Amino acid sequence: MSISQKGAVAQLLIFSGVLAGWLALFITNGTVFFWLDDGMKMAFYLIAGTGFALLVLMNAMISFFGRGNKPVSDERDKTIWRKASLWATGASYSVVVALLLVLSITYMEQDSTVVSVYFPLFIVLVGGVTLVLTQSIAALIYYNRQVHHEEN
Amino acid sequence: MKKIKNRIRRLRFDNNEMTQEELANLAGCTRQTIIALEQGKYLPSIELAFRIARAFGVSLEEVFQYEESG
Repeated sequence: MSISQKGAVAQLLIFSGVLAGWLALFITNGTVFFWLDDGMKMAFYLIAGTGFALLVLMNAMISFFGRGNKPVSDERDKTIWRKASLWATGASYSVVVALLLVLSITYMEQDSTVVSVYFPLFIVLVGGVTLVLTQSIAALIYYNRQVHHEEN
Repeated sequence: MKKIKNRIRRLRFDNNEMTQEELANLAGCTRQTIIALEQGKYLPSIELAFRIARAFGVSLEEVFQYEESG
């Protein structure tokens, strides 16, 4: 398994943890309306922030320590991550659009024109987590399938 | 159906049983890419294909063969 592939596994584990943490929050709170409670809100941001901080730390460690003078990744890894990123962008965009639609419909039904300031950050975080989770899953799938270099 | 096959495993054996790691170092890629190439799981760029051929000291056609069937 290449370092790049191990990175995909680590990324999947970290953000599965983030997702599990969020799920635990919702179950504990009994509702997804966590922004009504300051403690829950901060816990939600803290879980996501920890996930992204670990991702940055992991990538920094790979860049600094790598494999000495040998390449950490090559054209195959780059092709795989590019393809995975395309899937991740599509999935993340779809989730963000779906959340915005739900938000709009919910507020329209309530005849409200004021939206909580915490919604945009919530949607951005969910979109970001969807992006990195989908990217790692797609990368691991591509690592086990036949891949053609993009110029071919 | 078109397919590109390669003789990397055979050529490694013929070159004093060159290891995948040695070939990867000569071609400037990772060992995992050599494994994927030998398993037919990766179709490389023209540049990498040339680097692999050069590592064996043979022409591109001696490493990669383009086949068109049925």
